[in-house]
Amino acid sequence: MTRLVEITVPDEVRERACAGEEGARQLIYAEVAPATFALIRRLVGNRSAAEDVFQDTMMILFERLREFRQEAPLGAWLRQIAISRCLMYLRSPWRRVLLCLEGGDEVGAPALARPTTAAPAPEAIDLERALATLAPTARTVLWMYEVEGYSHAEIAAAFGRSVSFSKSQLARAHLKLRAWFEPQGNPPTCTLS
Amino acid sequence: MHTELEHQQAVARLLRELPDDAARPYDWREFQRRARAAPAAAARVAGLRALAAVIVITLAVLATAIRLGAGPRPAHPPAAPVTADNGLAPVGGDASRAEREDTAARYWLERLPREPALVHVGTRAAVETLEDHIAQVDDLLTTERAGSAPTERVRVLQQERAQLVNSLVQVRYAETLADASR
Repeated sequence: MTRLVEITVPDEVRERACAGEEGARQLIYAEVAPATFALIRRLVGNRSAAEDVFQDTMMILFERLREFRQEAPLGAWLRQIAISRCLMYLRSPWRRVLLCLEGGDEVGAPALARPTTAAPAPEAIDLERALATLAPTARTVLWMYEVEGYSHAEIAAAFGRSVSFSKSQLARAHLKLRAWFEPQGNPPTCTLS
Repeated sequence: MHTELEHQQAVARLLRELPDDAARPYDWREFQRRARAAPAAAARVAGLRALAAVIVITLAVLATAIRLGAGPRPAHPPAAPVTADNGLAPVGGDASRAEREDTAARYWLERLPREPALVHVGTRAAVETLEDHIAQVDDLLTTERAGSAPTERVRVLQQERAQLVNSLVQVRYAETLADASR
């Protein structure tokens, strides 16, 4: 799958979409939707919530398409919108209330069992499960930094926090992932290839 | 042994290689269907928000009104039986009325807590002085009645007692109003 930030759309298609042509909008949707949803799914975690954020993001895309200045690929512009909506969701009081009602917290999902035997072979490493144990904020910072290529300053700006916040969240995420892959009692060797 | 940096680089590489096949979004038709439904859902949410805002504002207004009004105003005390222009209590048929008014004043005083919610030093001294005087007059009245004193003397003492009770009622009423306005 092409990374969202690299996706471009022909000017002609974009102009037709701006004019309200449904076919052009459908083309843009087909082009950007998979990568956009994948990103949102990574940051939000929950599929149902991810669909809501995705819907919101795509509606904003078509509403504001005229404002796109072509200074970067359309995917990069859309990524900004998607991440902004994800952070709004993660910060929303309603989500926090739901977390309280469900007995969850910002520590992550402790329900998943951590491997207790020798470290698994690299191909067996379940990174998805490890990611699920991270707190949403730490997971988002990890993804933005390591995969999307944001700097600490950019992450801090997106969260409205300090650079040290971004650095500490990233360090915490790596620490937890390392603890996951290197169960207690084993020598501190990294099992990742 | 791998260093922390190598570990982080390995994690970053694995993260970038994670498959996204499981994260397929819904198709264009479903997007359009949800987009059409969005205004109705937004209207419902807006309606709920408006309702919540009205409830909050109503509660705030009520709380403010209760705070400013400080609850029900205390009942006005009954007038003590001081009615005669010459400073004497009425005689005959009016005597029973004076007695009723005296009972009403006493009842009103008894309904008040022995100590006010907030002790006011100035009024507390006045209340104690008045209560002492009333007790002295009561003693005198008992003595006079036991000694078959002239009716005129008893009436004067009764009148004096009524005035003291009246003053006590006024002071306690002022105390009650001061407590209620806080």
